[in-house]
Amino acid sequence: MHKAIPDLKDQYEKGKMTRREFLRYASLLGMSLGAAQALIAGCAPPATEVPPTEVPPTPTTAPAVPTPTTVPAGPRRGGTLRVRGNIGRIDHPARFSWVANSNPARHVAEYLTLTDENNITHPYLLDSWEASDDLLTWTLNLRQGIKWNNGDDFVADDVVFTMEEWLDEEVGSSTLGLMSYLTEENIEKVNDHTITLHLDSPQIAVPEHLFHYPNQIMNYRTFEGDFIQAPVGTGPYTLDEYSEGERVVLKARADYWQTGADGQPLPYLDEMVYIDLGEEVSAWIAAFQGGEIDAISEPEATVFLALQDDPNANIMGTPTGQTRVLRMRVDKEPWTDNNVRMALKLCQDHEKILAMAHFGEGAPGADFHVAPVHPAYCERPIPPYDPDRARSLLEKAGYADGLTVEIAVASDWTDVVSYAEILKQDAAPAGFDIQINTMPVSAYWDLWTEVDLGVTPWTHRPLGTMVLSLAYTCDDEGEPVPWNETRWCDDEFTSLLTQAEGTLDVEERRQIMCQLEEIQYERGSIGIPYWQGIWMIAHKKVQNWKGHPTQYDLFNELWLEEA
Amino acid sequence: MANFIVRRLLTMLLTMFIVSIFIFALAEIAPGNVARNILGAFATPEQEASFREQLGLNQPLHIRYINWLVGSDWRASRLIGMPLTRIKKPGTDFYQWWAVDEDGTLVRWKLEEEDLIALRRQTDGTVEESLDNDRWQTDEEGVSRAWGVDTHNHAVMWEKGSGETYWMRAKAAGWWVEKSGGPRTYIPLQKGMLRGDPGQSVQTGRPVADTLARRIQNSAILAGIAFAIVMPLALVLGLIAGLNEGKPTDRILSVAGLITTSTPEFATGIFLILILASWLKLVPGATVFGSERAIFENPKMLILPVLTLTLIELGYVLRITRASMVEVMREPYIRTAFIKGLPYSRIVFKHAIRNALMAPITVIMLHVNWLIGGIVVVEAIFGFPGLGKYLYESALYKDIFAIEAGAMVMVFFAVGTQLVADIVYTFLNPRIRYA
Amino acid sequence: MRDIFSLVSASKVALAALAIVLFWIFVAIFAPVISPYDPLEQDSTAVNQGPSAKHLLGTDDLGRDLLARVIHGARVILVLAPVSVLCALLVGTTLGLSAGYSGGMVDEVVMRILDGIMAFPAILLYLIILFAVGASAINVVIAITIAGAPGIARLVRSLTLDIRTREYIAAAELRGENPFYIMFVEIFPNAWGPIIVDAMLRVGYAVFAIGTLGFLGLGLPPPAPDWGSMVARGRTYIWINPWAVLWPSLAISSLVVGLNLFADGLREEVTRYQ
Repeated sequence: MHKAIPDLKDQYEKGKMTRREFLRYASLLGMSLGAAQALIAGCAPPATEVPPTEVPPTPTTAPAVPTPTTVPAGPRRGGTLRVRGNIGRIDHPARFSWVANSNPARHVAEYLTLTDENNITHPYLLDSWEASDDLLTWTLNLRQGIKWNNGDDFVADDVVFTMEEWLDEEVGSSTLGLMSYLTEENIEKVNDHTITLHLDSPQIAVPEHLFHYPNQIMNYRTFEGDFIQAPVGTGPYTLDEYSEGERVVLKARADYWQTGADGQPLPYLDEMVYIDLGEEVSAWIAAFQGGEIDAISEPEATVFLALQDDPNANIMGTPTGQTRVLRMRVDKEPWTDNNVRMALKLCQDHEKILAMAHFGEGAPGADFHVAPVHPAYCERPIPPYDPDRARSLLEKAGYADGLTVEIAVASDWTDVVSYAEILKQDAAPAGFDIQINTMPVSAYWDLWTEVDLGVTPWTHRPLGTMVLSLAYTCDDEGEPVPWNETRWCDDEFTSLLTQAEGTLDVEERRQIMCQLEEIQYERGSIGIPYWQGIWMIAHKKVQNWKGHPTQYDLFNELWLEEA
Repeated sequence: MANFIVRRLLTMLLTMFIVSIFIFALAEIAPGNVARNILGAFATPEQEASFREQLGLNQPLHIRYINWLVGSDWRASRLIGMPLTRIKKPGTDFYQWWAVDEDGTLVRWKLEEEDLIALRRQTDGTVEESLDNDRWQTDEEGVSRAWGVDTHNHAVMWEKGSGETYWMRAKAAGWWVEKSGGPRTYIPLQKGMLRGDPGQSVQTGRPVADTLARRIQNSAILAGIAFAIVMPLALVLGLIAGLNEGKPTDRILSVAGLITTSTPEFATGIFLILILASWLKLVPGATVFGSERAIFENPKMLILPVLTLTLIELGYVLRITRASMVEVMREPYIRTAFIKGLPYSRIVFKHAIRNALMAPITVIMLHVNWLIGGIVVVEAIFGFPGLGKYLYESALYKDIFAIEAGAMVMVFFAVGTQLVADIVYTFLNPRIRYA
Repeated sequence: MRDIFSLVSASKVALAALAIVLFWIFVAIFAPVISPYDPLEQDSTAVNQGPSAKHLLGTDDLGRDLLARVIHGARVILVLAPVSVLCALLVGTTLGLSAGYSGGMVDEVVMRILDGIMAFPAILLYLIILFAVGASAINVVIAITIAGAPGIARLVRSLTLDIRTREYIAAAELRGENPFYIMFVEIFPNAWGPIIVDAMLRVGYAVFAIGTLGFLGLGLPPPAPDWGSMVARGRTYIWINPWAVLWPSLAISSLVVGLNLFADGLREEVTRYQ
């Protein structure tokens, strides 16, 4: 047992931590969920206890996952699940730059860990992990007996190889920024099923990072930089067809390593098909209503609105840390001046934007990239809409006569366009003349790190520190990490962040988070209008349907009721 | 007659040639060049130059036009001194270019330090590496050069010791990686538009031809069905309206035709989905292609797209037919027939219709242009994976080879139907034959 | 001009059509006066509403008054469409006159190139042009000009070929007038009638085309109240608020019906007159 676990238990008992948080940290530190629950079983529930219904059912045996969840009537085998998805071009999984890229592929290739819908991380291709007391040495024990779908054994070489790909500058993975505490030399293969990571700085979120969506494990014998050309994975499906813009066909394999409730290998389904219906949400809605598709991956708010009263729809809503980031490039005029950035931030009426752009589904943001769903979130007031102060800040920056700026938005994200339009109106009294430059989604993703002013969607990540290190830090030479789209470098912020990443005590970490949030609010490069509520929509006949805050499609245990 | 057809064919070829230049020029020399469009505004000049070289964009316009039209492999083959061939990588849709050695083995090369390594493809698909420094040719100034095929489907010229640096773009991260030891010159290998290889899609990394073939098939089915329904219907309704000139039947048909034609298909399409699919649940509201053959497995999904196309196209042909019929019925010879006391039905069927149909049939063929325009919007609304959606998405993505090829195909259809229209017209109307 | 009005008043159809067109022109000119609200003004308390006494046609997803947006949308379209057609007329007429009057190689080359452009389905031409230059009001005008000019040039050329043989042209040539004078002063005024009818039809097409471009996301950037963009935006909300799509759609079709009928009526009268 990790030595910090008693501390955690103490915190839990004192009510400083919810049951859910306790379970998460216990599992983060390598304790199985069952054992962690047993540890606190006798404790009096703290004042801030979450309703017990939110805690996943206790599995009978450790390790926690992948034990099959008990399914009421017994799953039916067979059938095809048809899912609406975005079928974009993919090559190297480590280079995925959006979740939709990873969703069809994650049923073929898998991750070392799994963060479930309750934000709790479990071992997956790993059997277990252990962290040293100082959080600098992490030992990963690989699950044994797993076969790749080409018959090869899953071994430590695969993991080492894949990790080296993540950290290879030439690959250009976002993981390089996320796992900046790791270098290729510090990945040590102990034996065929054990790997030790020697971190440069303490880090609690290693298991969460291993589930970051580009981090699918590849077979070192076959992988040559393009997954489509050699779709070898450990997952329950094999890739039968991948047609960009059309469909992905996945066929169940017979010898998958996880078993279902009926004792047979998963998956229950014979086949899964992802279908690209283009960007027309009316086609998605009509296809769902007509029964031509069974599920909608990544539905927008308008899809939710149209289907919320549909008797056949099973909609799982989840609060998330997913958001639309108003990002200003600090290396480009006029955003080099913090007064201008602050002025634009002050032009957001957060509650109103949430109500109009996202129909009130979610929570208002406060212009720093840590969400209320994150464990160490430090509560701060929602900044008020203050055009007068914005105007004086603009004057201070030398734009007394007003400032014309162009904002890049992708026209298919309707809520982003609405946000831009609301901002345009509300920023006018402060002296901003905002020109909205709409472009197709694909064009935006081609330019997202490049535009001066734009709105970029960021997906949810389980820990507040994760996205901060991914998007708002710079390397030792002062160069922004790959996904630092605003080029914002702040030494104090970076060092506080490193400190937070090595701090286990939630209260202590919350204190650091308060400072981080303060800095990002006061001199950062972004505005956060709102945190999106998101949905997973499926037909009622799809059983075991769950939401996931990151919109990861975790469909291994789905089955279809006879229609 | 044969003479006439040959002449028309030659004109068509000339038109297609002009069209190809037009498309090529627009796509290639548009403001904000292709490389910039793909790279974003903040790539450094060196990165852009390197990228342009790898895509062959640094070559003169006419060379690129020739590459695009008839391919670059034959030119590269002369430089390398071996025939080149294109094969599919086993089990995938991806093409690979190889040089063919004298004994028939496929070979490519890579440069490691100062050594040229030959990659020979064995019959079982594996690749064997061997040193191949004999290929270096040294000129009077002592510079060693070698031509070969690299592993990224370029014909390239390496120069010993030049250590040319080049840039690889790590797309997702939006940053750049500098590499050294790159070749001096690149010729991207392709067979060319006319030989069925319009290049590789920037968006998908796959050959445009493969995707395009599927998309054309889907669109041909959609447009074919729409055409087969619209045309007879429009002609019959037009004739009826024309025969009843000024009566309520005519008024209703004409006005209805005008209104449906004047209502944009994007509006009718959306409302048809809302009312017929969503509220009344009569027909599927989207075209879902769960497999290649979905269109045959579930033909009902074509009802709404076809209906939308019908509504937009019907009115135009109907009105032309009506006008033509009205005109014919006023002709002296028809009046004479009436005076002679011939039965009404005989006059109409034997004399009027044949002449009245002449104008609409030409218009119908010209109207294929409109039908093609209609499918772009209709395919977008219904999520139909056809040529129109492909072109639209390629245009949005600035996918240069895809849009060039798609546009050529569309124009080819349009020009081809015009040719057919001309020929049909001369058959129907002997007076202008051979003119 | 008086001629046109006497022509129009003779046809009932043309008169009705003229009424529709004049209605929209009136709406466009007096938009600021008759519009109940500012078309850009958002109201967070009245989002996606159906028609009511306060908002006669309802509101859109940002609580903007749909009546105000449709009214101001008329301004957008009734500026863009005629301007596009005027540009096409200018280019097409010049090319057609020069080709028809000069004949020979000039004629051959110009006409072959124009044939090439005419071979394109119009929407494809728009897509390619906007692919090359990007979407904005000016580029929309350019695209419609390029798509429309060849048709006009062809018409003008055939009219020119006919008029060129008339005696007064020969007379002007004998007087030693320069070709530009002959083309624009002698030939053009005599070809005026059919060109006007054709242009009227083209304004209808242009309205349609601008709507389609707006729908495809290639129109004016938001928050401009252009009808096509309104439909494009409203369609994602159509399940909860069909009104936001219905009104701009009706506006487009009524204007196109009006323009087409007007051109028809005009053509009938012109042919009868001749």
